[in-house]
Amino acid sequence: MKYETVIGLEVHVELATESKIFCSCSAKFGAEQNDHVCPACCGMPGMLPIVNKHVVDLGMTAGMMLNCDINRTTTFDKKSYYYPDLPCSYQTTQWFAPICVNGKVKINTSKGEKFIRIKQIHMEEDAGKLVHDDWTDTSLVDYNRTSVPLIEIVSQPDLSSAEEVLAYLERLRDLLRFAKVSDCRFEQGSMRCDVNLSIRPEGSDKLGVRTEMKNMNSLSAIERAIDYEVARHIDALENHTEELVQETRRWDDVKGKSYAMRTKETAGDYRYFPDPNIMPVVIDDEWFDSIKASLPEFPEVKKAKYIEELGLSEYDADQLTQSRAYCDCFEAALAESGMAKESANWIISDCAKALNRRQETADMLKINGKALGALIKLVSEDKVGRANAKKILDAMFEEDIDPLAYAEKNGFIVSNDTGAIEAVVKAVVDADPKSVADFKGGKEKALMALFGKCMKELKGNCNPQVLREILIECINKA
Amino acid sequence: MNLYIDKKDSAAAKNVVVDDMILTKDLATTAGSKMLEGYKSLFAAEVVEKLEGAGYTVSGKANVGELAIDLAGESSYFGATEVDGKLTNAASVIVKNEDVSGAVVLEVNGANMRSAAFSDLVLVKPTYGTVSRYGTIPAACSGETVSVMAKTVAQAHELLDTVAGYDCKDGTMHADEKCALIKSGAEFAPIKKVAIAKSLCDTADASKVDAFKAFLEKAGVEVTVVDAEVLTAASAAWSALMCAELCNNVSRYDGVKYGYRTKNYKNIDELYTNSRTEAFGMLLKSAILYGSDALSTSNYDKVYDKGLRVRRVISEYFASLFAEYDAVLIPVASKNEYTMADVEADRYISFKENRFTAPAMITGLPAVVVGGVQLVGKAFSENALLDLAEKYEKEGK
Amino acid sequence: MTKEVLLRLESENQLALDDAQRDEIVAFMDAQNAEFEKLNAIDTENVERMVHVMPILTVVREDVMQKNFTRDELQAGAPETMDGYWQVPRLVE
Repeated sequence: MKYETVIGLEVHVELATESKIFCSCSAKFGAEQNDHVCPACCGMPGMLPIVNKHVVDLGMTAGMMLNCDINRTTTFDKKSYYYPDLPCSYQTTQWFAPICVNGKVKINTSKGEKFIRIKQIHMEEDAGKLVHDDWTDTSLVDYNRTSVPLIEIVSQPDLSSAEEVLAYLERLRDLLRFAKVSDCRFEQGSMRCDVNLSIRPEGSDKLGVRTEMKNMNSLSAIERAIDYEVARHIDALENHTEELVQETRRWDDVKGKSYAMRTKETAGDYRYFPDPNIMPVVIDDEWFDSIKASLPEFPEVKKAKYIEELGLSEYDADQLTQSRAYCDCFEAALAESGMAKESANWIISDCAKALNRRQETADMLKINGKALGALIKLVSEDKVGRANAKKILDAMFEEDIDPLAYAEKNGFIVSNDTGAIEAVVKAVVDADPKSVADFKGGKEKALMALFGKCMKELKGNCNPQVLREILIECINKA
Repeated sequence: MNLYIDKKDSAAAKNVVVDDMILTKDLATTAGSKMLEGYKSLFAAEVVEKLEGAGYTVSGKANVGELAIDLAGESSYFGATEVDGKLTNAASVIVKNEDVSGAVVLEVNGANMRSAAFSDLVLVKPTYGTVSRYGTIPAACSGETVSVMAKTVAQAHELLDTVAGYDCKDGTMHADEKCALIKSGAEFAPIKKVAIAKSLCDTADASKVDAFKAFLEKAGVEVTVVDAEVLTAASAAWSALMCAELCNNVSRYDGVKYGYRTKNYKNIDELYTNSRTEAFGMLLKSAILYGSDALSTSNYDKVYDKGLRVRRVISEYFASLFAEYDAVLIPVASKNEYTMADVEADRYISFKENRFTAPAMITGLPAVVVGGVQLVGKAFSENALLDLAEKYEKEGK
Repeated sequence: MTKEVLLRLESENQLALDDAQRDEIVAFMDAQNAEFEKLNAIDTENVERMVHVMPILTVVREDVMQKNFTRDELQAGAPETMDGYWQVPRLVE
């Protein structure tokens, strides 16, 4: 028999905010254990939740990027269960009136285009982290992540293969990164996914037994887990190897197997109810419109524009639109310099290399695009040599500088004093009669050596064309 | 008798006590529970900051019943408080007998209102959202209100002036201009018409209400008896909402982060269960379980959600009364005194007695206890209620 | 209220009662439920639920980070800690 797979995803995304959702603790990743914590984060009584506006901004932004309807009055609710990573033994989330509903996302796979419907997006707080200590046989609790803002994007069960799931997740990641909603890093846990999966005979409209795999945190693990689960379900149906039950399973990526989780962790009544301490959040027209106006173009729209209107190559446009930071920097540099191809090159090549050296990704490009444009202009106007321009770029990665002022201060301005250039060239030529003879004897390389020496003496501050002419003239005289 | 959970020597001119539901930094806060014995908060309640900013010294923490849901403090892990064999909570005993300007307390289920009535003190439970709850132990957040208790109306009003006012750390507060409406000096319309809630008077000792009614008539206030059957729904509705919120709010006390941890555990479930079972008293346990049941998936619509709708029905009923009357006169308790024998005979007596206090608790309307009765007014009518209370103080006794 | 339901509620709320306590609480809950059932006489079909008693809009806060407490202060009253972590019996992985 042929089977089809039915998959729905719950995707958790940590929002890119400075502070947590209900208190002012830092929401940044990577601090020492329990350093980003206050009485509220460790479940002490007395503090009251005050909603971080930026969380609502980003929740709305995500909804708009995913074609959702925005609930203009949205409320928070409490969900109760005991677990040591949940300091209050309740999580504040949205149950009755989530911020976004009814969205859709277009994906492309080998089978073509498809729309995946979004059921809802709700805002909530993250839980803490547990570390298991083998020496003492205890678990250790870190509340840094407690109350870090999340959105949970709940899809309809519209996905039917690992390929579609990956395409959907990559699309979500691209759109949310582009809109600066989240950095969406699986490896840091800022994007995680629960996979709900069942199979049924092809053409059947009855859903099969559904299993849920929680907290999947890499695309490759998700792909393997789905393939494994589909095979396990089919095996169970065809060969009666086991009876399928609705349950939550954990994927062990090392062993390549999924396991049923202990029922205690999954059972229980969450007893949702509206949080009396948080008044309804009402999104007025002004707020709504300001978020709407701040939305970026979709990456593919930008890409087409870069190619058609700016004349960039498909490759360059692709490279730029992989990152919102690249696009922002490129557009600012272009506005300042008027040079599209040059601006693109500086980002795709020089900035990318610098990021690489710093072990940063394309999303983390923070240099001032207008300043980059100014630098590009200085180079094109022969005011600064290319080698020195790269040094200025390196400085721009450290701080927001004015390239011209920096060039002046560091002696990077190209000299137009031909007399001075001739003097340097003459000295170099006089000191190296062998290279002069080699060049005259037909060795082109010898000219390059002399040219390099001159440029070094001139500290790079010379138009290469001018230098080349003066050098050849000087050699010919020698 | 354990009046104080913690106290400090103070030679200050203006001393005030706060009850043990209000967090202080230098003094312990326990909510009357073994769970929090010796607990020191890292921050003080906004009302404590406001009191100290106004020159008061918070000289002690008044004992309370566990999570302040009992009749008059009898369920405290640290012992009940009685005067001449009669129950009345610690704050009321301290205010009555010691040289303090008054007490600032968290009203949850009427224990303070009743104790003020039992001890013939003045209590103001102001309009919900006019006094910050930042730094109070959460019990039933949708209705609980920081209240003031004093010997005289003037002292109570002065304390209210001090603690009321906007605080950005509490997301359920009115704007500062609104909060100012309850302070001395704000304009108000004097009370001319009072409705007496017959349905609630029928099940209470009538002596205090009768005396107050006589005063009102003498003072030229028009008094009308209204049926007010709707208000009898407040007790069951508030009990359900309160217990549900309480169940959720006290779930944070689990022996992991602070407070009591059992010595008897081998795994996390035993740690949780034994810590909570050993540290919580029977009244609180009952409230937790009842509240949890009210929120369960199978009961949510017929209990919790119903309770929220009944809350609106009661609110709208009050609004209809206030279209005609300026205040509603309601008894505070069914008897004028209670003993330990009463609460030993029925641990859950506060869930019956709260029929008098639940109407104001579930709606967040202001209530003033004076002369052993309560006057419930429309939102922000504290000045009018206190004006009448002051007249009673001068002329009614 | 049945004992069976009560046992589930106990487990959900991390409490363990003895039989005498169970009897007492069942009676309490039965009494509360009976009181509550009387509310069915009030027609609330078309009544909107009232979560908040006052019509106050949410005040949102700006996304500004503040650090006001140290780990040592927060763990001063902790029953058990290790290396700056709160410590609990091992959870089965």
